[in-house]
This record gives sequence, C-alpha cells and structure tokens, in this order.
Amino acid sequence: MKRKVGLTLLALLLSLSMFGCSSDGSSSSGKGKNSGLRMLMPYSRFDPNKDFMASYIQEKTGVQVNYEMLPAENFDEKLNLLVANKEPIDIMKLSSGQFYQLASSGALEPLDELIDEHGDYIKSAIKDSTWGSATIDGKIYAIPEAGSGASAGEALVVRQDWMDELGLEAPKNPEELYTVLKTIKEKKQIVPLTGAKDSIYGDIASAFGIVNDWEDQNGKLVHKAEHPRMKEFLSYMNRLYEEGLIDQEMPINTAAKAIEKFTSGKAAMYKLAWWNSTNTVNSLKQNFPDAKLSVIPYLQDADGKASVGINTGITWFIAIPKASKHKEEAMKLLNAKLAPDVFKGLAIGDEGVHHELKDGKYYPILPKFNEDLTNGSSYMTGTDEHKYPEYWQARVRKEPILQSYFEAFQKEAEGHLVIDPMSLAPPIDAVNKNKLKLMKLLDDNVLKFITGAEPVANYDQVLEQWYAEGGKDMVKQANDWYTNR
Amino acid sequence: MDTRLKQEQASIRKTPARKRSSSRDKGSLGERLFQIFNICFFIGMGLTTLIPFVNLIAKSFSSEAAVVSGSVNLFPIGFQIGTYRYVLQDILFIQSFRTSVIVTVLGTLLGLLFTTLTAYPLSKLRLRGRKWFLLYFIFTMLFSGGLIPTYLLMQELKLVNSIGVLFLPGMVNIFYLLLIKNYFEGLPESLEESAKIDGAGHLRILVSIVLPLSLPVLATIGLFFAVQYWNDYFAAMIYISNPEIKPLQLFLKEMLVASSNDFLKDRVDAALNTTPQSIQAASILLATLPILLVYPFLQKYFVKGVLIGSVKG
Repeated sequence: MKRKVGLTLLALLLSLSMFGCSSDGSSSSGKGKNSGLRMLMPYSRFDPNKDFMASYIQEKTGVQVNYEMLPAENFDEKLNLLVANKEPIDIMKLSSGQFYQLASSGALEPLDELIDEHGDYIKSAIKDSTWGSATIDGKIYAIPEAGSGASAGEALVVRQDWMDELGLEAPKNPEELYTVLKTIKEKKQIVPLTGAKDSIYGDIASAFGIVNDWEDQNGKLVHKAEHPRMKEFLSYMNRLYEEGLIDQEMPINTAAKAIEKFTSGKAAMYKLAWWNSTNTVNSLKQNFPDAKLSVIPYLQDADGKASVGINTGITWFIAIPKASKHKEEAMKLLNAKLAPDVFKGLAIGDEGVHHELKDGKYYPILPKFNEDLTNGSSYMTGTDEHKYPEYWQARVRKEPILQSYFEAFQKEAEGHLVIDPMSLAPPIDAVNKNKLKLMKLLDDNVLKFITGAEPVANYDQVLEQWYAEGGKDMVKQANDWYTNR
Repeated sequence: MDTRLKQEQASIRKTPARKRSSSRDKGSLGERLFQIFNICFFIGMGLTTLIPFVNLIAKSFSSEAAVVSGSVNLFPIGFQIGTYRYVLQDILFIQSFRTSVIVTVLGTLLGLLFTTLTAYPLSKLRLRGRKWFLLYFIFTMLFSGGLIPTYLLMQELKLVNSIGVLFLPGMVNIFYLLLIKNYFEGLPESLEESAKIDGAGHLRILVSIVLPLSLPVLATIGLFFAVQYWNDYFAAMIYISNPEIKPLQLFLKEMLVASSNDFLKDRVDAALNTTPQSIQAASILLATLPILLVYPFLQKYFVKGVLIGSVKG
C-alpha cells in the first residue's frame, strides 16, 4: 500500500518535471524561430490565436502573428511590467493614456522613417489631420486608428403608449420636458426619467449649450467645467430632482440598473444608447407587449437650435516598442493590413461570403458574418479613414432593432452634430495628466448639486478647486495648442 | 467561499455542544429561548448567503429579456437551458476549466507533499538549528521581493506564460506549514518511540504512523490549497497573457469586467458584443460548482478531526 503511495508521488514528480521542461521548451522555441511577430492587444472576450481573423490575416499578408492580450483589469500595471521587462513585443495596440505614457517615457520607436520606407498604404489610408494625435515633439510614435466616424450614440426615448394615453407631445426644449415629466409624475405615479450615474449630461445639457467637454468660444477653448451656463443647467436638473421628476437613485444607478427600471415599467423616459437597444426593446416587449417606444428629437436651446456633441478623437494607437526585434517586419505588416482589398476584408470579410452590397450599402450575411467577424475590430491596426465608416455600418445592420435605432438616432442628429474641438489634439501633457482626475471631481460634484446635497451657488468654489487641481494648467496648455495649431 | 468555510468550522464546533444539550433533555426557559434565537439567527445567516446563489441559478435558466428587466428572483422566468449549452461549448470556458483543474489538482497534491515534508522535521524538537530554519521560512511569509522583482524572477525561471507559474511558486505555504507543524507537535512522542522500537525508520514513521493520524489536518489543508488554487486569479492576471492557459477565475473576472460600463466607454464594438447576463450567470455557476462539490466529501474529516484520540490510557 505505502509503496504505491510512494510510487504515485514519484510519478507525479516526474510528470511535473517533464511538464516544466515542455512549457520551457515551447516558449524558447517560439522566441528562437523568429517566424512570427508578437502583437499585444487590449482585452476582449475571445481567444485571439484561434479566431477566424487571425488565420485570415495570415492568409492575406503571409505573416504569422502571435497575439497576446492585456487583462481586462489592471491592464496598465501589466503593460508597465511588460515594458519594464523589455518584452520583445512587435506591435502594441494602446489606449490614448497608455500610448502617451509609453511614448513620453521613451519606450516607443519613432515611426517616421519606417512609415516613409514601408508605409505607402498607411499614408493614403490615414488623413493628414489625424496624424497630429500621435505626434509628440514633431515625431510620430504610433499609427492612429480612427473609429467608425461621427455618429450620435444616445438619445432620449419615451414610452409612447403612455404619452398617447396622457395626450402629451414630445418635448422640444427643457421647459417642455419639465411639463411632460411633471404630467407623467402626477398621472402615472412612476419615475418620469431614469438614467445612470455616468451619463448625466446628454441632450439636456446640450440644450443649455453644454455640448462637449471642450467648446470654442470666440477662438478660445473653454472646458465644460467653466461653461458660463453650467449653473443654469445644474439648477434645472436640481429642480427636476427635487420635484421627483428624475429617478431619485440616479446618482447610484449603473447602466444595467437604469435599463432594468425602464424595461420593468418603473420609468417612462430613459437616455438610450443605440448599442443597448436590442436588449432594452426585447425586454420591454416581453414585459409589456403593448409598449411603444419613440425617440424624442434632440432638445433645442432657447434659440430653437439642437446640438449633439461628439468626440471623434482617436481611441487606439498602434505602436512599435523599442524592445521589438522585428521593427521593419512589423511596419510591413501594418502597411499590408491597410492595402485597400485587405483592409476591406478585415472590416467586412469577403463579398458573397460575409457581406453583400445592396443599394450601395454593405449588409452582413448571417450567421457567417457573426461567426467569423465578431471580433474583427480587435485585430484592426489603423483604419482606412475614407472607407471605414461605410464598411463599419454593416455591423449595425446585423440586427433589425439595432439598425432601426442607430438609423433613427442618426436621422434626428443630422445637421446637429458638433465635434469636440479637442478631438484632433496631439497628446497634451497637462490634459493627459489631469483629465480623468478632473472629470471625476467634476462629476462627483455635479451629482451633489443635482441632488441638492450642495446648493448650486457653491459651484464657483468647486470650479476654484477644479482650477487648482490641474484645471488651470489643462486649459492653458489646451489653448496654447489651439491658438498655434 | 471563506464565509462558508467559517460556517462549517462553526458547525463542527457546535456538534458536540448540540449532542450534550439533547442528552440533558430540555433546559430552562432561558436556554430554550436562546436556542430558538440561535436557530433563527443562523437560518437567517444561512439564507443571506444562499439567496444570492439561488438568484444566480434562476438567472442562468431565465430568458435574457427577463434578466435584463430585473424580474427574476428565486425562480426562472422564461425557462431555457441554451445558456448552459453555450457555456459548455465556449472554447474559452473549456480551456480555462481545464487549466483550473490541472492547477488545482497538481497544486494541491504538490502543496500537501512539500508542505508536509517541510513541516515534519520542523516539528521535531531535536532538529539542530530548528529555530533558524523556522525563522528562515517565516521571514518569507512577512517579507517579499515585490511584484516587479518577482516577475523578473519568474521570467528568468522561464515560467512566465506557462501553467507552472500558477502553482510551482506556492508549493510550500508557510502559514499552512505552521498549522501542520503544530498538529504534528501535538502527536504524542510515545507513538513514535513505539514505532522505533518496532524497527521503523523516519520515512516509515511519517508514512505509516504520522500521516494516517493527521488526516484531519491534511484534509483541511488540502481543502485550503484547493480553494486557494481554484479561486486564484491574481497570479494568472500578472503572468499569463495566453488565453489558452488562463484559469477559470480570471476568465470569469474578465468576462464581468468586460461587461461593465467603465470598460465599454468609448468602445462601441465591444459594447455590441457584451456577454448576456444569463450567460454570465451560467458561467459563474459552472465555475463554482466543482469546488462546492469538494466540501461534502471532506466534511467527515472536519467532524472527526477533533475527536480522534491516538493514545489510550
């Protein structure tokens, strides 16, 4: 008996040592072969080495790439570990904060020469104005990956069945909104307007002229926090809150909680993001088969003008770290992925297999499109800015509810889009350093003013604090860039 | 998991007490009131841990539309099992499950082996320099090199991005070592002496006398190890970027984080691909079940543990 135990233990040890060797062997052989490039991408829920896109890219470009992902949380720490350790990663897909941090600490390779030598497709795909966002001290440190173009993301939606029942018209401005909410409150005894703690501004703020984080006022950049009408907006929201017209739990609601309240019939109005529309609409229909939803046209300000703020800033930066041992190959791959036909394949697959062209619009072929291309955007390393918005909309057309809300929002927003003037700014030191901290400071306080925990008259003190904690620097450096651009 | 463990320990401690009181018939009014209060209180405590779990089970069997509108409580609404079919076919889940099982089984076996082998000599008072050896081990419990140096060490050991990093560095757990050592010290010296008289060597004494007597502590520590390895995500988060060998807890954590609003901000494409809540619930449930199932089998050692007497008279 006991001998058996001993033997098992021995076997275990042996298998373990073999195990150690095998894992050791594979990693060193991977490094030794030099055949594949290593690309680091942000977290997404799939296995990047087994996805259709990985083999598609290899097939189209002839380059084998080993993909690695940062974790979903603590990604900055992990990235710092990899960089501090000089891991020979060849391509990194970085968020703007990560990009700025690595570029300013000297971990990234300047790309100007490589792009001149190997980047013909890259140069024609990316607009001149976009490069600024990846340029520091006159040198390009990354390929900026532009998104899917300017489009409106959120709009207020309302239970049209209740509006009809009460004989109400869609409100056009904040005053009418107030009346509508008040009527709903009195007649239906429910929460008139619900929302989540992280989407406070939206089109109510726009109706007070607070459209984006930054605004050009007579050639000068003004941040939302210093907006002259901020107090007016806060007083209005405070009035709604005090009279019970906004969800009293809004300061603690998550987005999921807000959707829950809206779809369970506890609230009449909600600011819907179109990418949540499928879930929201299906769930509402199940609970209330007779429910009808309608999109409220974007609210107008005192002059009868509606505006929808958007930021077209770059979300992803494709960089080559200094520690890479295959910089030229990496640049060649990035270039090859932007060749017009290859890029089209990356965006929407093959015609007749993954997508089809109907009345000049790309439609996905389901389920093949979903099977193969769901994770496609994770593999993007720069986009053809002239074509991508058009391609990308195929993703919206894969589901009728999604498509209808996306299109409804865009139709309402047509002619009203206002682009944040900071969208195309290069990395600005004071902005990168302070942006998140100041946003939190402002949002926390804005919630206090709205709920009445703090009287709106005290806003000036918050603004002082905002200036003192870096706001002053941020506004100054932003304006330095803006006036000299 | 920890609270459940504590409850179990509490129930073990309670067992003899309950026996005593039942044999003594009914006590005074005060005692009975106290009993009633006790029972109600612990049922309440039990429910607070049980209800969220039942809610999770209900969600995993409900239609997504019902889950989104928050109408699922203790019973599923719009019953379906598609979520489980999806999760069990999800390559990421399967890979993570495999990793977690390998890490837990190997980690527990190796952990027990090496921790016991270290604890045994340290439990012998006659070991020369015992104090220094102990200090040497305890030092590592109190001080460590920090994250980056440890990472560099793992890198040099070629353990980064290999499954070994998840259980090899923690094979000897100092805290568990002290527990086992103390248990060994509590075994009567005379047992060992009698075995020696019968001609047993050190290994024979350990394997045939000490270990069989120590099953309770080994079962407990084994469970500690298993739970620790099953629940660990931090090591994997730091050292592993290859999704093929990410353990289950990291997979779960990332799935949940990736559906949170902070993560989805400005990532429209990610927002279009979030994991439905009912599938999240099914994944969590499937990931928790295996380790939950271990508890009943080890329960008997916990109960026996306190009662085992080795020397008679």
